[in-house]
Amino acid sequence: MDKILAVARREFLATVRTKAFVLSVVLMPGIIVGAMLGGGLLQKQSAREEIPLRRLAVLDHSGAVLSDLSERIAAHNAERPNQPFELEAAVPETPVEELARRVRDGTLYAYLVLSEDAVSGNGGGTLARKDDSLQVGRGLEDMIHEAVTAARLREAGLDPERIVQVQSRPIPIRELDGRTGQPVASERFARMMTPFAFMFLLFMGTFGIGQGLLTTLIEEKGSRVIEVLLSAVSPMQLLTGKIVGMVAVGCLLVSVWGGVGFASAQKYHVAELVTGYRLLMALLYFLPGFLLLSSLLAAIGSACNELKEAQSMVFPLSLITIVPMIFWYYIAEHPQSPFSVALSYVPPVTPMVMVLRICADPYTPLWQLASTLALLWVSVFAAMWVAGKVFRVGVLMYGKPPTLTELARWVRYS
Amino acid sequence: MNDALVLEGVTKRFGQFTAVDDFGLRLPAGQVLGFLGPNGAGKTTTIRMVMSIIYPDAGRIEVLGHPRASEVKDRIGYLPEERGLYRKMTVQETLTYFGRLKGLRGPVLRERIDEGLERIGLRDWRNKRVEALSKGMSQKLQFISAVLHRPELVILDEPFSGLDPLNVDLLERLLAELRQAGSTVVFSTHQMNQAERMCDRIVLINRGRKVIEGTVNEVRGRFATRIVVLDGDGALDALAHLDGVTNARITAGHARLELADHVDPTAVLEHALRMTRVVRFEVQRPDLQEVFVKLVGGDGAAGGAEPHPPPS
Repeated sequence: MDKILAVARREFLATVRTKAFVLSVVLMPGIIVGAMLGGGLLQKQSAREEIPLRRLAVLDHSGAVLSDLSERIAAHNAERPNQPFELEAAVPETPVEELARRVRDGTLYAYLVLSEDAVSGNGGGTLARKDDSLQVGRGLEDMIHEAVTAARLREAGLDPERIVQVQSRPIPIRELDGRTGQPVASERFARMMTPFAFMFLLFMGTFGIGQGLLTTLIEEKGSRVIEVLLSAVSPMQLLTGKIVGMVAVGCLLVSVWGGVGFASAQKYHVAELVTGYRLLMALLYFLPGFLLLSSLLAAIGSACNELKEAQSMVFPLSLITIVPMIFWYYIAEHPQSPFSVALSYVPPVTPMVMVLRICADPYTPLWQLASTLALLWVSVFAAMWVAGKVFRVGVLMYGKPPTLTELARWVRYS
Repeated sequence: MNDALVLEGVTKRFGQFTAVDDFGLRLPAGQVLGFLGPNGAGKTTTIRMVMSIIYPDAGRIEVLGHPRASEVKDRIGYLPEERGLYRKMTVQETLTYFGRLKGLRGPVLRERIDEGLERIGLRDWRNKRVEALSKGMSQKLQFISAVLHRPELVILDEPFSGLDPLNVDLLERLLAELRQAGSTVVFSTHQMNQAERMCDRIVLINRGRKVIEGTVNEVRGRFATRIVVLDGDGALDALAHLDGVTNARITAGHARLELADHVDPTAVLEHALRMTRVVRFEVQRPDLQEVFVKLVGGDGAAGGAEPHPPPS
């Protein structure tokens, strides 16, 4: 026992003290937070940007939209004085080529041609701009739509202002948490992303483990430390120590990130996103998840001599773990769909899928929780058994890495 | 029951290849055994079996009275042939880790580490990373880490390979100290003079089979070939044709004769005295180097358990 702990301690420290690990612990949340904050900042920045006056020539064949449009342009200019438009009413005889030429030589930002029946019938318009800015295009189109709608309403004898008033004030709906009856403070988007965040936590944790375990094992084999170790501890003790150490690494990663998540949820008054129940479930699934992964990786690592070989053998495993990453949105939106349920019974991804589903739907049936956890633990023990066999043979094998059939033979005969 | 190490009929096959074949050995506690043999003879395989890193296909091994070394791991020190340390760990951390794995704890461990580092002159290096050490330094560090727990049985696979003469000397002294402290030591080498100098017993293995075993004197004595060296003033060529001389190398004033079993060296001397004035006369036993070369040399056909008859 003492020796297992000594091995675990070294594995833990050897992994945790690498620069890569420290970087990933700090950087990962940093990158996520940075991406979120950065996006917001950029948006604010773009709103403050000074844009010189842009001229918009309007060739209004219907003759009914121009005044409404200029009202809206004026409103826009009042709201954003640093990004103004100027409307220019083109005389109806103006050839479109003339307007196009002026856009090309830069005296116009854009021109708009509205057909005769744009208000009365099914006619439309053409908008030609100098650039491709998505936001500006949308803004202009919105203004045009509003102007045309207003013109149509007036033509139908309705008061456009009144209509807008009626439409723009939907009844306020207060959302309560159905289970607790407490008001829901968080935004929908945040709620939607939380299950993903939980799953991503697990994904990154396994990633951290994988790197650590493979590199130390390959180093031990490469430098032949393994033989000295085996003269002091049994292969089983060594394997167990490594797995314990790696699970500790995974738990550290997850608790650092989970703690950051919990603290920020408290701080921004969205505590219901990171509840005790969710954390408990995450823990229940993380532990066997890490154990399973560590034993599989230990088996793979012990059979290889170079990181490259190991990585190519790990590839199928990482491919499987990516599946829930790809389908997370579908799983979160349809936690009880046959696909989501079926994927819950594929051991390497069970923890990720289940955590995702439990966060998305707190009413995941108990029998599913029980059966997935049971399956997970059964596969943990199976994996450890296989890993033990492969490890015994593999750690002292040098030369070319074994094929799958050879691996199977090791398991059968050792 | 005072044997530190007993092997009986130990056999190990790797597929078609028999690495160790019906190997037997008995080593009394407190002695130093030299494990000799050419490259690929099966030394490392045997040592690994003794350490229960791999298991024999047949035969019996007894280490410190136990059937498996794994049961007495903390009483054995092992330095494998393939040297390895964690490059990123410091010297101190390395020793602490290996010490812990051997069951040492707390102040005892710290004391032993200080002592060990002092002994190999690496005190100032304790906080340096292993990757900063020279090859010789890390080899000494490994030796210390293998004997930190004062093992009763020390097994060293090629401990001297790659060391400079100063460090060879240091290691020889360290081994002698171990022996004095009562440890049993097994080391493999192909340096014959070293084995001759340091070992109580030697065992020679070739192609997986034991060729010869015994104390250094026994082994040399088992070789009936005696060698007579003779310096004289006159022509010595006639000695080559004496009855019972199996091999002769004669230069001006010097003769080196190998004699058959039944020949009395004094008869050769008498004969020589009749021919010339003898300045020096010496009866030599073959050194281990010659035994080694004779037993395994050249054709490699020397797989038998009995020494070859001297060439005639």
